[in-house]
Amino acid sequence: MASVTHSSPRGSRFRISKRALPYVLSLPALLVCIGILIPFFTAVIYSFQRYRLSQPWARQFNWGENYLNFFTDPGFWNTLKISLLYAGVTVTLELLLGLGIALLLQRRSTVNNFISIMLLLPLMTAPALAALMWKLMTNPGFGILSYLASLVGLENFRWASSPDTALLTVVLVDIWVYTPFIMILLLAGLRSLPTQPFEAAALDGVPRSFVFFRITLPMLTPYILTATLFRLLDSIQQFDIIYAMTQGGPGDTLTVFQVEAYLNFFQSTNVGRSAALLIILWAITYALSNIFIKNWLRLRERARGEA
Amino acid sequence: METTSPVERLLRGVALTLVVVFFMFPIVWIFLMSFQTNETILRIPPSVVFTPTLENYAALITGKLQTASGTLDIAFMRNLGNSVLLSVASVALALVLGVPAAYAFARHKFRGSEDIAFTLLSFRFAPPLLVLLPLTQYFQWLGLSNTYFGLIWIYQLICLPLILWIVRGYFEDISADVEYAYRIAGHSWFSTFRKIALPLAGPGIAAAGLLAFIFAWNNFVFALVLASADKQPVTVGALAFVTASGIQYGQIAAAIVLSITPTLALALYAQRYLVEGLSLGAVKG
Amino acid sequence: MTTLQLKNIVKRYKSQAVLDDLSLDVANGERLVLFGPSGSGKTVLLRLIAGVIEPDGGRVLIGGEDMTDVDAEHRGLGMAFQNFALFPHMSAFDNIASALTSRKSSRDTIAAGVHKVAKLLKIDHVLSHHPKALSNGQKQRTALARALVGSPPLLLLDDPLRNVDAKLRFEMRLELPRLLAAQGATVIYVTQDYKEAMALGDRIAVMAHGRIRQIGTPAEIYNAPADIEIARLFGDPTINLLDVMPQRGPDGVFVELSDMRLRLPGFGAQIVEKQCVLGLRPETIAFAEASAHGAIPVTVEAETPLNEKTVTLALTVRGREILVSRPAGTPGPVAGPAHIAVDGRAAFLFDKATGQRILPSELASKRNGEAA
Repeated sequence: MASVTHSSPRGSRFRISKRALPYVLSLPALLVCIGILIPFFTAVIYSFQRYRLSQPWARQFNWGENYLNFFTDPGFWNTLKISLLYAGVTVTLELLLGLGIALLLQRRSTVNNFISIMLLLPLMTAPALAALMWKLMTNPGFGILSYLASLVGLENFRWASSPDTALLTVVLVDIWVYTPFIMILLLAGLRSLPTQPFEAAALDGVPRSFVFFRITLPMLTPYILTATLFRLLDSIQQFDIIYAMTQGGPGDTLTVFQVEAYLNFFQSTNVGRSAALLIILWAITYALSNIFIKNWLRLRERARGEA
Repeated sequence: METTSPVERLLRGVALTLVVVFFMFPIVWIFLMSFQTNETILRIPPSVVFTPTLENYAALITGKLQTASGTLDIAFMRNLGNSVLLSVASVALALVLGVPAAYAFARHKFRGSEDIAFTLLSFRFAPPLLVLLPLTQYFQWLGLSNTYFGLIWIYQLICLPLILWIVRGYFEDISADVEYAYRIAGHSWFSTFRKIALPLAGPGIAAAGLLAFIFAWNNFVFALVLASADKQPVTVGALAFVTASGIQYGQIAAAIVLSITPTLALALYAQRYLVEGLSLGAVKG
Repeated sequence: MTTLQLKNIVKRYKSQAVLDDLSLDVANGERLVLFGPSGSGKTVLLRLIAGVIEPDGGRVLIGGEDMTDVDAEHRGLGMAFQNFALFPHMSAFDNIASALTSRKSSRDTIAAGVHKVAKLLKIDHVLSHHPKALSNGQKQRTALARALVGSPPLLLLDDPLRNVDAKLRFEMRLELPRLLAAQGATVIYVTQDYKEAMALGDRIAVMAHGRIRQIGTPAEIYNAPADIEIARLFGDPTINLLDVMPQRGPDGVFVELSDMRLRLPGFGAQIVEKQCVLGLRPETIAFAEASAHGAIPVTVEAETPLNEKTVTLALTVRGREILVSRPAGTPGPVAGPAHIAVDGRAAFLFDKATGQRILPSELASKRNGEAA
């Protein structure tokens, strides 16, 4: 009985620590994050200020002026248009392509598994470095892609250096990097689908297009939604690829939100406008991520259940 | 599904080949380029027939670049070192901070735990510049500008949510009874955490750590904003290198190869866990 | 001396009471079975005693000491889990030894202890295996060994035979009492199997909806169930339950079965004209000659020979089903008309509205006298 005899004071001390334990365990992580929350609020304040690094003496609150100015600011509308266009085009193309590849690789075989692993490599390449790789390949002097373009009659195709094709070029790099993301999520989804509906459909001789649109797609929808929202959230904030490739140029062709904010801050030193741009971007991503988190949580519950 | 016509098989084969070519070609091409001299690179039409040379790598590793106008110093190896240091230290810190927190979130549903977990998750989706731009000023005041410490701290923005959410899932998968059994056998919560929870969540922790490493390594914008040349990782360094070296394409290609090899190797090693990690536990691979 | 005392334990999950003001005393060396359907709070209660979950109210006393606020590792008891809860990354030896390593004993002492209990449980040949390599039965024995090895004064067994196959369960049901007796520990044993409860318990506490509905020796529970539900849970084949309305006759209260009067000796006027349920254990009913006193006519529908007994399904004149059980090998009608004899003294009467058992008057007055 020796091991069960303890004085009550010791017991109550344990009780306090038991209650506090989870907080103690998560406190360090929280502190680090609080340090990150402070600059967030600072950014909110900046966005309501007239604040230029070049004229620190003129810094003062101008309240909503930074935001109001956007209405009459073609630069802002350009940024909004380019950002949405970029996100819309990349995510749509990547979704179609990713779904197609996932369907091609659906059946488990050595070759398919090998290919699906190989396709991870672009995704694991730093986007900024991927942009550099494509820059080398699209170099007008010796780039292999410029050469190939000239073979099909596109003499002097200037890729990212021309305003006409700059968007196309960065979209291509984005597709190269991120299609595998959608592909592996959908592939995991496809492979986790129950087999009975498909066997039943095959027995009944149901046409394959019908199986795809009425069985596969509906069952895959949660995965498609998760992958799409994940990508949408990243894509609308794209910075690395565009900055490494063209610094937002040529001209203002590719000044998406984060690139424009970066240039505003460091080149035009207009902190107020930069912060206001980022707050608008944040509002968009916040709305998206709320939809996202709900859907993602459901999927996560399911993944846990199946585990 | 089993009855595929030869035509269909052919089409599938062609489609897959195109897919593989599109996604593999840039890596292969840059890899080949890194073993070529500028003369062979600049040949028109381009050709895959060349005598491989290691001089690009030699130049990077020795840090001396021989150009027509003389010798140029390149700090690329320093960038590589910075990448290793920043990634390893960030992941280590994120593990130290994140694993206990993940355990707390998984095991104790305490007041506000879900809110905190979601706040952490939302960092994953917020525009990084929103935090980074004001941070440049805070870092100046705190004397953290261009320090490894400051960078490692801010890298937690990438690593911590990842580790927290993935590892939390692995802890949740451990049956509570197994931990209860160890407690009842006479062990404190801490030794239960150490001897039961940690080993059982081990694979998940390792996977989360590897992924966090990859993401930290691949990060670009944090160091671009907060680090000067001597602290920059390869992602930023390579860009600067392009600007500085101008037309030394062979070296650029070699630098890219050196920069992407670690993450690609790790990705191949950890590919089993990537699906789960990339979706923050939403999809099981 | 009582080893375990629970005082007014309350446990809620999301404002739903899982344990509702539950009190319980367990004597030193006693084997108490917690019996009840799933969701009745047995497992929660066991975990609460072990100290891995905390009560929202009430006290837990172990060995006379208030342990409510003491952590599980300082309570010094042993527990076996329904799902075994073995540590998957440790060998069977280390699993068992885990209950000793916290005590700073020498390595030899630990090894000796583990080997002793492993031999007792016949798993000494698989000690080096990891749980993955163990059969279900071996896992279960390893889990038991881990609970037993520290010779804890209080042993909590959470339905340890639930996840093993029928044959093994039968063997263990025979083996466990001997094993537990050899330990000399106080045992709290959770089960959903009434046979296990009857075989293993000195006393059985029947739980439902977070409360103890009845507590007593197996014989008490079987022969004097507190309500219909308990009467139904114990016994195989299940007790016959027939809706009746007692009437007053010249020689006392009676109920009608197949238009015959079944006298209920001992019951008073308070049950007359009351909606009741008559409970008849199948083994208290016997087939009889038509001429026998009080013989009730029935029609035999089907016979099911079980190993040790034969169960017959019979219908009363009004088509109500009655199961009759007799020892295997004794003769009885196979089909067609027959008669049964029922001992009114062995019959239970329950209040149909509340489900509570109605005691015969003399018993009731005796009880009341005791209480006063």
